[in-house]
Amino acid sequence: MTLKMLLREALATAWASKVPSALVCLITAAMCIMTISTVGRTAAAEEQVAQRIDSSGARQLVVTDKKADGLISESIISMASNFSVIERSVGLGSPTDVKNLAIGEGATPVPAWAVIGDIGSVAQLEAGRYPGPGEALVSTQALRKLGMQYPVGAVRIANADIPVDFAIVGSYTPRDPFTDLDQGVIYEAQSGSSATNLHLILNDASQAAVAQGSVLSLFGQLADPEAISVRSPLQMAKLHDEIVGDLGSFGKSLLYGALGIGSLLVAVVVFADILVRRKDLGRRRALGATRSDIVTLMLIRTLIPAVAGALVGMLGGLGIAVSTGSVPPFAFCLGIVILALLSAGASSLVPAAYAANADPVKVLRTP
Amino acid sequence: MSILSVRDLGFKYTKDSEELFDGLSFQFAPGKVTALTGPSGRGKSTLLYVLGLMLTPSRGEVFLHDQPQSSTPDAVRSKVRADQLGFVFQDSSLDPSRTIIDSVIEPTLYAGVDRKIAMARAEQLLEELGVAARSDHKPGQISGGQAQRVAVARALINNPAVILADEPTGNLDPTNAAGVLDILSKDAGTQQRTVVIATHDPYVISRADEVLAL
Repeated sequence: MTLKMLLREALATAWASKVPSALVCLITAAMCIMTISTVGRTAAAEEQVAQRIDSSGARQLVVTDKKADGLISESIISMASNFSVIERSVGLGSPTDVKNLAIGEGATPVPAWAVIGDIGSVAQLEAGRYPGPGEALVSTQALRKLGMQYPVGAVRIANADIPVDFAIVGSYTPRDPFTDLDQGVIYEAQSGSSATNLHLILNDASQAAVAQGSVLSLFGQLADPEAISVRSPLQMAKLHDEIVGDLGSFGKSLLYGALGIGSLLVAVVVFADILVRRKDLGRRRALGATRSDIVTLMLIRTLIPAVAGALVGMLGGLGIAVSTGSVPPFAFCLGIVILALLSAGASSLVPAAYAANADPVKVLRTP
Repeated sequence: MSILSVRDLGFKYTKDSEELFDGLSFQFAPGKVTALTGPSGRGKSTLLYVLGLMLTPSRGEVFLHDQPQSSTPDAVRSKVRADQLGFVFQDSSLDPSRTIIDSVIEPTLYAGVDRKIAMARAEQLLEELGVAARSDHKPGQISGGQAQRVAVARALINNPAVILADEPTGNLDPTNAAGVLDILSKDAGTQQRTVVIATHDPYVISRADEVLAL
């Protein structure tokens, strides 16, 4: 039999056996609804947790030069940015107060940070241009505090022995996770200066251990191991693994349970259908159907209502998930549909093999 | 060269059961109707199923066009059944959920015949057998005699070399029985087909060209 003939025949057989077809459709739909509305919620929760944990804030590794001994040099920042596990690397100095030069001593101070490395890695330019030496950017939030209507003018470092001024050449909003920079001014650090904090944004929180080891190796053998401190997302990565693992194992148990019960029910329905229609199958064998024809026919004949049930089940499950506010990812739903179809197909194989190997003569001679 | 023959044939349902056929050797004449007859339990229907390659003999061989068939793999025997053998069962065995024409073309599925060709051939056969008007009916909507003529059409659809009929007139009144036998006899003569009928009906035996008593 050609595939086209098998499909046509299976469709006709499925249509002829309306009750078993409806039951297979119903069971598969129930399998999908149950798994998508329960395991799907777990998957949605897992994805939300993973997204939060994978946000750049949770992927940040910070090395602090506790005694400001100039340990975090330009070269270390530059070398760190070349590591494959690191998305962004930038050094920040300790914040210093600056005031609007046009207002003078009575102006409201805002913090200013020296940036070593690419300013674009900490700030998104909103107006103007990136600063050069002696120039600075002001955050859109700090503009009002400084009494500026537009990002033009100049600021002066407050309480400095020697006045240091920066011309404002633009405004910015800080990039995640540098939200602290939202309230002040940033400027390019002088060449040869060092940073107080080295901020490293990792590609993935799970790479924290590798990144930490690599970055610390750049400092060599420190005379005082207490001179630097490290704030690492290592714990976050472990938490991520634990949460994903717990949710995953819970979800898998539910999934296997639903698929197992569903498969068993489909097998029972198909087996009962075969027993009822055993004369039909015996006649097919007598008229020239091979054993593989019978198995394939039963398989496709089971899959046709199962496909209908799986699609209905997916829509139903998604409907329930939407109503509870935990929509699972589409890939998960598609996976459930495929798993349900595989389960239904696999569970029809044993009854189909039984039908294919039944003695057609005995079947035909049984009244 | 005979179309269908058996040599030194024996069959046992179980290892310890009595052997049937007692080393039977026989050539079934092409173009003729052969009646298999004998008392109940002598294996008339069993021989028919052995000839139809659905049962494997415990000894001996079934030949089709002088080629041994009994020991071939199941898939090969299925293909031979689809291409070269036509079955007529006692109760017609039509699928109650399908139309008459769908039942007639069923063997063409297993022989891999194109559906359009199969439908045209089925319509022609139903016309010849006088049941064309019922082609879109279900088996439950036609009489026993019509159902058996549909079963004959199904057996002839792939133009097989051999027709095997198991008590084809067992459930029919004399008029319908005569009609079915007329069709089978005429077809055997015109198509040089080998027709084998398992029966204990004296009327069928009287209509046969040859009789093989078991």
